[in-house]
Amino acid sequence: MARKAPALPPLPPLFPPAFRERLHALVGQPVAFAGAPDPRQRARRSVLSHSGTFVGHRRYERGDDLRRIDWSAYARTGQLFVKQLEQEQRRTAALLLDLSPSTHAGGVPRRLHLLRGAALVGGFALVQLDGLTVLAPGAGAQAVRTFAGAAALPELLAHLEELPTVAATPQDAIALTLQRGVPGRVHWFGDFAVPAEVERPLFALRRRGATVTGWLPELPEDRQPPTSGYLRLADAETGAELVVPVDPAFAAELRRQLALLASRQDRLFAHAGARLVRWRAPAADDFSVAAFSPVAARCEA
Amino acid sequence: MTFAEPLRLLALLFVLPLLWWLSQPSRPRTATLTPHLAQWQAALAALRRRPPRLARLRFLLLAVAAAGAVAAFSGPSLRGRPGAERLVVVLDGSASMGARGADGRSAWQRAQAALRAGFERLPVELPVTLLRAGGSLRRRHGASARALLDLGAPSGGLDADLGALARKIGDVTGAAVWTLTDGQGAAALPVVGARTVLRASGPNAAVLSVVCDDRWPLPELELAVEIAAWTDAAATAQIVIEGALVAPVERAVAFAPGVRRRETFAVTRAGSGGPLVVRIALPGDVLAGDDAWRAALPPLPAPRIAVLADAEAGPYANVAAAALAEEVGGLVVAATDKAAVGVVLVDGGEAPLAAGAVRAITFGTRLSAAAAPPTPWLAPVVADWDRSGPLGAGLDLSDLRIAQAWRDVLPAGEPFLWADDAGVRTPLAVVAGTGDVASVHFAFRLQDANLPLLAAFPQLLRRAFVRSYGEGAAIAGVSAPPAAGEQDLRRAADGDDAPLPAFATSAVDVSGWFLLASLLALALRAFVR
Repeated sequence: MARKAPALPPLPPLFPPAFRERLHALVGQPVAFAGAPDPRQRARRSVLSHSGTFVGHRRYERGDDLRRIDWSAYARTGQLFVKQLEQEQRRTAALLLDLSPSTHAGGVPRRLHLLRGAALVGGFALVQLDGLTVLAPGAGAQAVRTFAGAAALPELLAHLEELPTVAATPQDAIALTLQRGVPGRVHWFGDFAVPAEVERPLFALRRRGATVTGWLPELPEDRQPPTSGYLRLADAETGAELVVPVDPAFAAELRRQLALLASRQDRLFAHAGARLVRWRAPAADDFSVAAFSPVAARCEA
Repeated sequence: MTFAEPLRLLALLFVLPLLWWLSQPSRPRTATLTPHLAQWQAALAALRRRPPRLARLRFLLLAVAAAGAVAAFSGPSLRGRPGAERLVVVLDGSASMGARGADGRSAWQRAQAALRAGFERLPVELPVTLLRAGGSLRRRHGASARALLDLGAPSGGLDADLGALARKIGDVTGAAVWTLTDGQGAAALPVVGARTVLRASGPNAAVLSVVCDDRWPLPELELAVEIAAWTDAAATAQIVIEGALVAPVERAVAFAPGVRRRETFAVTRAGSGGPLVVRIALPGDVLAGDDAWRAALPPLPAPRIAVLADAEAGPYANVAAAALAEEVGGLVVAATDKAAVGVVLVDGGEAPLAAGAVRAITFGTRLSAAAAPPTPWLAPVVADWDRSGPLGAGLDLSDLRIAQAWRDVLPAGEPFLWADDAGVRTPLAVVAGTGDVASVHFAFRLQDANLPLLAAFPQLLRRAFVRSYGEGAAIAGVSAPPAAGEQDLRRAADGDDAPLPAFATSAVDVSGWFLLASLLALALRAFVR
C-alpha cells in the first residue's frame, strides 16, 4: 500500500524585490555566458541577435543591450532604436528543472535555491544568448517555455514562480528534452539525490551532442547532518518514513554516506563529460553579491 | 471448553488493537523531509542497527496476557461428563431385611455396606437422596444420605411398589435410581436403574398375633397365640411365654410349612406387673424380628374396698362392697382416715370427695356439704345406657327401676346412664376423671333402686372398679404384629444386580488457570527485550 506523501513545507517568496534588484544587477555584468547553436531556429524571422545581417530597427526597451543602440538613428530622429540583426545560426541554452517534491527538503528548501539559481543562469542566457528554453518535466502546459531577450526576464521569473511541484523522474526530464530537440547546452537544476537515475539521461544527452551542466545547491544538511536526537525522516516523494535515534557514531556514518553520495554525483557527471556545479546555498533572505557570486562565477567558467 | 459469558470475549476486538497500538514505538510528531533517505538507511545498515519497531515477542506476550484476562472474565469452564445428575437410592427397610444371610450379617447390614462402598465411588458433588421404603418411611438427602444417618432398623411391611417407584424416579430428567432390596414382598424386582439384591432366604417362624383375655385385677391371664413357621419341611418350634408371670410357660409345637396355628395359654401374672414376652424359637430361623410378641402388664391393684353409707342406707352398700370384693378378689375394710384402700364405695349422704381425683363409686351421694340440698327426682325412667363403653357394654339394665334420684348430685363427667326427663336425656350416672384415677357416680341411692337386684350389678361394680383405675389397668406396650408378606423368606423375588450408571461431572471452572497464564505471560515479558 502506497504511503501518503507528506505535506510539503511552504516556500519563502522566491523572487522578492531585493532578489529581482540583485538579479538585474548581476545579469548586466560582463559575464561570458556560453551558448550553443540551435539548429531548430533557422527560420528567417527577426529575433534579437548579436551578429548577422542588419534587417531593421525597433524601439529600445528597457533591458536591451546598450551596445546595440543605433546612435545614428538617435541622432536623426531623437529616439532610441536598437538594430535588429538576422543571424543564420542562433545561440541558445535550456534550463532543465527538477520540480520533484524532494527539492522541498532542507531547512531552507533546496527548491528555493534551485529556482533562484535558474533565474540567474536564465538571466545571463536572456541577456547574452539568442534564446532560452525552460524545460519543466511533468508541469503539463508549462513544461516547455521559450524566452528571448533581456526584456523577457520578468516573464521568466513569473514563469518560474508559477511552476508546480511535480513528481517527475530524470527519465521524464530527458524524454521531454529529447522530444523538444537537444538545444546544445543544457543547465540541469536538481538535487540528483539518486545518481543511478541520472546516469542514463546524462549519457543520452551526451550522445545527442548536448553540453550539460548540473547545478546543485548545497544545503548545510548535505554535509553536516544532526549529531543527536530522535528523528522521523520522510521521503517527500514516496512517503517512506524512517525513525532513527541519532548518536555521534550514527552521525559520523551518515556523514560518510553523504560524502559518498557527493562523490558518486561528481564521478557520474565527470564520467558523462558534464560539469556539476555545487554552490553553498545562502540564507533565504541573503541577497548579497557574495550569495550569488558563486553561481555567476560558474556561469562564466 | 465453554464460556459462561461468551459475549465478553468481544472485548478482545477492542483490547488487542489497543495494545497493538500502544506497543508501537514512539514516533516524533514532526517528520523531517529528506532526499537522502537511502543514505540514512545505509548508515543504519552499516552500523547494523535497526529502527525502533514493534517488539513482536513482547507484544505477543502482552496479547496472551490480555487474552487470558479477557477469557477469565468470560467465565471459562471445561465441560463436565454427561450422565445422571443426581442419585435417588430406594432402600427396602421392611422387616424381612433383618434376615441374616450366609455370612451372619443381615440384609439390612449388607445393604448399608453396599451403600457406603457405592457412595465412595460417586462424584463428591453428586446430590444423593435416600428413601427408605418399608417400615417407617424416611428421607435423607445430601450428607445425611451419604452418612446413612438414622435409618432405623428394618421393620414393617413393604408398602411401596419398588418397581413403580423406580420407574417414576427414572422418568425424572437427570435422576438415576438405585434400589436395594431383598425382593421380599414384591412380585418382581425393579427393572429401571441400578439394583442390588440382598438375598436372605431360609426358615422362619413368627408370632403372628396374641389375643389377651385379661382378668385384671385378678392375676389370671389367658393368651391366644397365633404362630406359623415357613420351612421347607415340617418342623417343631418351641413357644416360650415369660416375663411378669408367676412361672414361665414353654410348649413345643409342630408346624406344617406355612400353616398357621393357634395355641392357647393360661398364665398367672405377677402382682408387680412387668414385661410379658411370647417367643417362638425355630432352629435355623434367619429372621429374629418376628419371633417375639411383647407387652407390658400393669401391676395388680390392692383390692381393699372401703364402704361409707348414711344411716338410711340399709345393707345395700355393704352387700355391694362384698359383691365387688368377690368379683375382684379384694377385701372390704373399714373406712378410716388412715386406711389405704383401693376404692371407696359410698351410698347416700355426703362425702367430701373430689370427683375424678380419688377412686370411688358413689350412689346418690352429695360430694360437697356446702352445696345446696339436692332436689329429689321422683321415679326417673331409665332411657338408655352406653352400650359400647367399658361400663355398659354387654350389660342389660333395661329392668332398672328407680324410685327416687337426686338432681344436681352428679359431678361433671362422662355420662353412661340416662333418664328421660320430660323428653330430655338427663344423666343418671357419670364417670369423672382421666388417666389412672377416676370415680363413678350414680344419682340415686342403692335402696331407692332395684340395681342391686339386677344380675348385671356385680359385673357393673367390677367394671366401675376397673374404670376407676383408668389406663393403669390396661396392658400397654403391645408390640405390633409382624407385617404381612414379610415372613415367608423362601418366596422372595430374585434377580441379578444391575450396576450404577455413569454420573455427570460438573464443569470445571478454569478462569483461575487463565488468570495464572496471564500473570505468567506478564512475568515472562519482563525478561524479554
